[in-house]
Amino acid sequence: MRIALVTTYPPGMGSLNEYAFHFVKHLRQKPEVEAITLLVDELPPDEQYSKRTEAGADISFDVCWRFEALNNTRRIVEAVQRIKPDVVLFNIQFASFGSRRIPAALGLTAPMRIKRATDIPTFVLLHNIMETVDLQSAGFAQNVLIRWITEFFGAIFTRQLLKADLVALTIPKYVEILQRKYKADNVLLAPHGAFDDAPPLHHTPAEHPFQVMTFGKFGTYKKVEPLIRAIEHLQQNGYPDLELVVAGSDSPNAPGYLANVQTQYAHVPHIRFTGYVPEAAIPDLFTQATVVVFPYESTTGSSGVLHQAGSYGRACVLPHIGDFKELVEEEGYKGEYFEANNHLSLAAAIEHLLSDPAHRHLLEQQNYLAANGLPMREVVDWYLLHIEQLLGSAYENRNPAKK
Amino acid sequence: MKIETQQKSDVVIVRIEGRFDAFGVPEAEQHFQAAIDQQPRHLVINLGGVNFIDSTALAALVRALKRVREHQSDLSLCNLQQAVQIIFELTRLDKAFSLYADESAALTALGVA
Repeated sequence: MRIALVTTYPPGMGSLNEYAFHFVKHLRQKPEVEAITLLVDELPPDEQYSKRTEAGADISFDVCWRFEALNNTRRIVEAVQRIKPDVVLFNIQFASFGSRRIPAALGLTAPMRIKRATDIPTFVLLHNIMETVDLQSAGFAQNVLIRWITEFFGAIFTRQLLKADLVALTIPKYVEILQRKYKADNVLLAPHGAFDDAPPLHHTPAEHPFQVMTFGKFGTYKKVEPLIRAIEHLQQNGYPDLELVVAGSDSPNAPGYLANVQTQYAHVPHIRFTGYVPEAAIPDLFTQATVVVFPYESTTGSSGVLHQAGSYGRACVLPHIGDFKELVEEEGYKGEYFEANNHLSLAAAIEHLLSDPAHRHLLEQQNYLAANGLPMREVVDWYLLHIEQLLGSAYENRNPAKK
Repeated sequence: MKIETQQKSDVVIVRIEGRFDAFGVPEAEQHFQAAIDQQPRHLVINLGGVNFIDSTALAALVRALKRVREHQSDLSLCNLQQAVQIIFELTRLDKAFSLYADESAALTALGVA
């Protein structure tokens, strides 16, 4: 089958680029897949997408949308009409096409528009839903009225998105919300999947200095200030050599955030800001960390990092917020919890893991088993199974006499 | 977890009981592979005794489905308890597998009395 995938992709730095990289890496190894066209966003002038060289299905790039643009849907539909794939997949979240409401929302109509313009099935992997995103933290609603309007139109555009043939979500609660609120009968739960096959589990070494690491795109609902204050507190209370690694870059919605934080907390020693972390540096990033911390105010974008932390067998310190804890428990992970935005609570949670190696190793083992239970290459099989069902239905719809 | 295999005509039936999760998957996969090696016309997996199933077990069933189809054969599931049925519906794998109410319904549909 020939697949078109609407997504971000490295070296593009939009959210879900790493997920796409791993998804495509395994998708192209499947014998059912003949060719993959990645419908990707425009890169800065000095960058370009490059084909992977290892064996597998053909990959090509069609650069046909731009973050914040208003005409993304039209361009994507035109690309699909030009390519004529068997199926169109979307690897998106509600703000994939823009940080502003209108471009973000308009982009979400692309699956419906493809369906209207062609008879090609569409399958959306949706990484979050409007109902569980803290709009204020995500920068989408500064006052109550705007928030209400955003939610109102968010519901309308969610309905548009649900006109895709299938919508996959990685958290059971998201499936339940879409089924209950929108009466959707085309949504399904799909495992997130571990990005790579399991590396051997190496427990963190017992010797100092301990290293605390956080990873993500920061500035909206991922804020490092409470974490830095927690590290400062621990450095002053028994862990003077404790290191903090802030790995990752600014959220597209918060340019300059990390530079400001770096200036503001220049007095706190042993903090390293890595900037964007290339794929090759990810293993060292995780294996050198004693503890991985999630200083998040919302669960959006958390599951990918949790799976990575688990796949490298790291103990995690997690915020005690609604569906994040649910995800952790349902998928078999264990963590040390802290009260979001409370640096003393966060310091206590980190200290518990640093001071009790046996407890830390238990969490490392547990998270390792949870993350490596279902590697991405198997998750891709689930998607292909659903696609085969879709293609079978599409064939029957086009050829009713042959049912 | 308890697993037993039985052959009826050219159909192999694998019956699983207990908690079907990551710890039970290796043993189940041995039974699936042994059944597939017999090159049956059809493999029926009876999940009537399964009271819990996790994603690794679902993945094992998906793998088994792919393998039997590679052998031009097919795989059906039967006798799903409500909790297991809900998981299949949530993941929409109920659309990918042929599901039967019980073993005799599966065998009847396959033409095995």
